[in-house]
Amino acid sequence: MTDSSSTHPWQDPDQKPYIRIENVTKKFGDFTAIDNLSLDIYKSEFFSLLGPSGCGKTTLLRMLAGFENVTDGRILVDGEDMSDIPPHLRPINMMFQSYALFPHMTVEKNIAFGLKQDKLPDDVINQRVEEMLELVELTKFAKRKPNQLSGGQSQRVALARSLAKSPKLLLLDEPLGALDKRLREQTQFELMDIQEKLEVTFVIVTHDQEEAMTVSSRIGVMESGNLIQVATPTEIYEAPVNKDVADFIGDVNLLKGIYKGKDKEGTQLLSEDSNSIVYATQEVEAELEDTIWFAIRPEKLEISKRKPSNDINVLQGVIEDAEF
Amino acid sequence: MDTKDKKHNFLKRIFNGRNAVISIPYLWLLLLFLFPFVIVLKISLAQPIIAMPPYTPLFSWGDSLWPKIQAGLDSYLFLFSDSLYIKAYLSSIKIATISTILTLIVGYAIAYSIARAPKRWRGILLMLVILPFWTSFLIRVYAWIGILKTEGLLNLALMTIGIIDKPLIIMNTDLAVYIGIVYSYLPFMILPLYANLEKMDMSLLEAAADLGCRPIKTFWSVTIPLSMPGIMAGCFLVFIPVVGEFVIPDLLGGTKTLMIGKVLWGEFFYNRDWPVASAVAIIMLLLLVVPIILYQKSQEKAMK
Repeated sequence: MTDSSSTHPWQDPDQKPYIRIENVTKKFGDFTAIDNLSLDIYKSEFFSLLGPSGCGKTTLLRMLAGFENVTDGRILVDGEDMSDIPPHLRPINMMFQSYALFPHMTVEKNIAFGLKQDKLPDDVINQRVEEMLELVELTKFAKRKPNQLSGGQSQRVALARSLAKSPKLLLLDEPLGALDKRLREQTQFELMDIQEKLEVTFVIVTHDQEEAMTVSSRIGVMESGNLIQVATPTEIYEAPVNKDVADFIGDVNLLKGIYKGKDKEGTQLLSEDSNSIVYATQEVEAELEDTIWFAIRPEKLEISKRKPSNDINVLQGVIEDAEF
Repeated sequence: MDTKDKKHNFLKRIFNGRNAVISIPYLWLLLLFLFPFVIVLKISLAQPIIAMPPYTPLFSWGDSLWPKIQAGLDSYLFLFSDSLYIKAYLSSIKIATISTILTLIVGYAIAYSIARAPKRWRGILLMLVILPFWTSFLIRVYAWIGILKTEGLLNLALMTIGIIDKPLIIMNTDLAVYIGIVYSYLPFMILPLYANLEKMDMSLLEAAADLGCRPIKTFWSVTIPLSMPGIMAGCFLVFIPVVGEFVIPDLLGGTKTLMIGKVLWGEFFYNRDWPVASAVAIIMLLLLVVPIILYQKSQEKAMK
C-alpha cells in the first residue's frame, strides 16, 4: 500500500496535492481559453498536459508561472494561493519553448542569472553553475554565447538554467519541440533521469502523444479549454474516455456499433461494419440500442489463415492491401 | 585574338548591370560628398582677399611653365591661436553630449511605450512621432520662441495656474537650446530605438521574471543591454548633427550660447573669411570622424 501511494499518490486520499488548480477559468476578451478546470498534481510527479494546439495547455502553464492572470478560480502551490504573487516571487521555474536564453550572456552567466537574483555569495553561485553544467554535460561550453550553440545544446542550457535554483516545480513548455526525432528520444530519457534524481515536480506541455506516453507519470488530455481525461499513460491507452482521446493517443481502428448490453464475456456490441457481435472488455454507460464508438488497437488484433479455436471476437476477412 | 577576347571579357565584367547598380551610390558619394569636401579643403588652404571669390586661387601661373601652388595652414594656425574656436568646439561637444543624453532618456521612454503598446496602436503612435516632420524644421523652431519667450505660452500657462508669479527666463538661454534640440531630434532617437525594442523577444523578459528578477532590474540587465544597438544608433544620429547645429542655437540661444555652427556662420557671412570658415568646417569634420567610426564599429558588432 505504501508502495502504491508513493508511485501513485493520486490514488491515496491522505496525500495532499502539491499543485491544486481550483475551478480555473481564463478568458481573453470573449474567447474562453480555459473553462472551469480543476486539477491536482502531486509532489515528484511528471505530469503532461497533452492536446492539440489551441487547446489551452500553454495558457494553463503560463498561469502556473504567473504570466497570465486567472480570470476566475484559483491556483494553490503547496497550499499557498498564487493569485496575487507575481512571477518573480513564485517558487516555480519554467523552461520556455523558445528556450529564451539571454543572447548577451554566456552559458554560465545564463545559468547563474537566477542564482544572482537571490544575492547568493559568488562561490556558492559558481559551484552551483558548475554542478548544473556537469548535469547537462556542457562544462566545455561554459564561455559560449547562445548563438554559438546547437539546438540540443541550447535546450540543455535552458534546462540547466531553469533547474539552477532547485525549484520545487518546473514547468516545461514543449521542451523537446525544436529538436529532431533522434535527439528528442534521447533527451526524453535524460529529462526523466534528471527528474528522478532531483525529485522535482515536472509539469510539461506537449502536443506529441508519444513523448507524453514515454515520460509521464500521468497525462491530462486537454481539448478546447477542458481536461477530458486525467490518467496514467497505460490507462489512457487502454481505456480512453472517448473517441477523441482514443484517436489522439496512438494508432487505433475506430468502429461504430450498437450497444447490446453485457454478459460474462464483456460488453456486447453489434458492429455496423461486420454486422456481427463484438465483445469488449471495457464497460460503458449506455442504454440498449445506443450507437457507440469502439476502438481496437492494431497490436491487439491477431490475423491467421486458419479459424481460431475461440468463438468470440472472430471475424473473417480478405486481405486487400499490405504495406510495410 | 586571344588578348582581344580577354580584353573584351574584362570590359564586360566592368560594365555589367550589377556593377552599374552598385556604382550609383559610389557616384553619388563622389559627386555630392567627396567633391564638395575637396573644394572646402582647397578653400581652407587659401588666403582671404577682397575679391570675387574672396580667397586666393590654389594655382597661379606666373612666368614659369609650372603652376605655382599657393597653399598654407595659416587658417588652421589661426584657429588654434584664438581660444574662441577651441571654446566653441568644446561647448558644441558639451551641448551635443548633454542634449543627446536628454534625448535618449525622453526617446527611450517614448520608444519603449510605443513598442509595448497594443499592435493596432503602434502604427498611429509612430505616425504621431513622424508627423511634425511634415512641417518645416525652421517653422517648428520658431514656434518654440512663441512658447518659451517671457510673455509666451508656457509662462502664461504657469502663471495662470499660479505655479509661478514671475515669468521664467528660458528664451535665449542654453536651456532653450536644449529644449529645441531634444524636441527637434527626438524622432532620430525614437525610430532606431523603436525598431530595436519592437523586435525584442518578450519571452526573455518573462524568463528573467521567472528566474526571480524584479521588473526594474530586468530592465537594466536584459532590456538595456539588448537594446544597445538601438541606443548607439539613436545617440550617434543625434550627436553628430547636433555638434554642427546652427539654426537652434541661433534662434533660441542667447549671445552666450557658443556653438561651432554659429561661429562658422559668422566667419562666412560677417567676416567673409572663407578660408577660416572652411578650416572650421574641416576641423569639425575631423572631430566627428571619431564618433562616426565608433558608430560604424558598433553597427558591425550588432550585425554579428
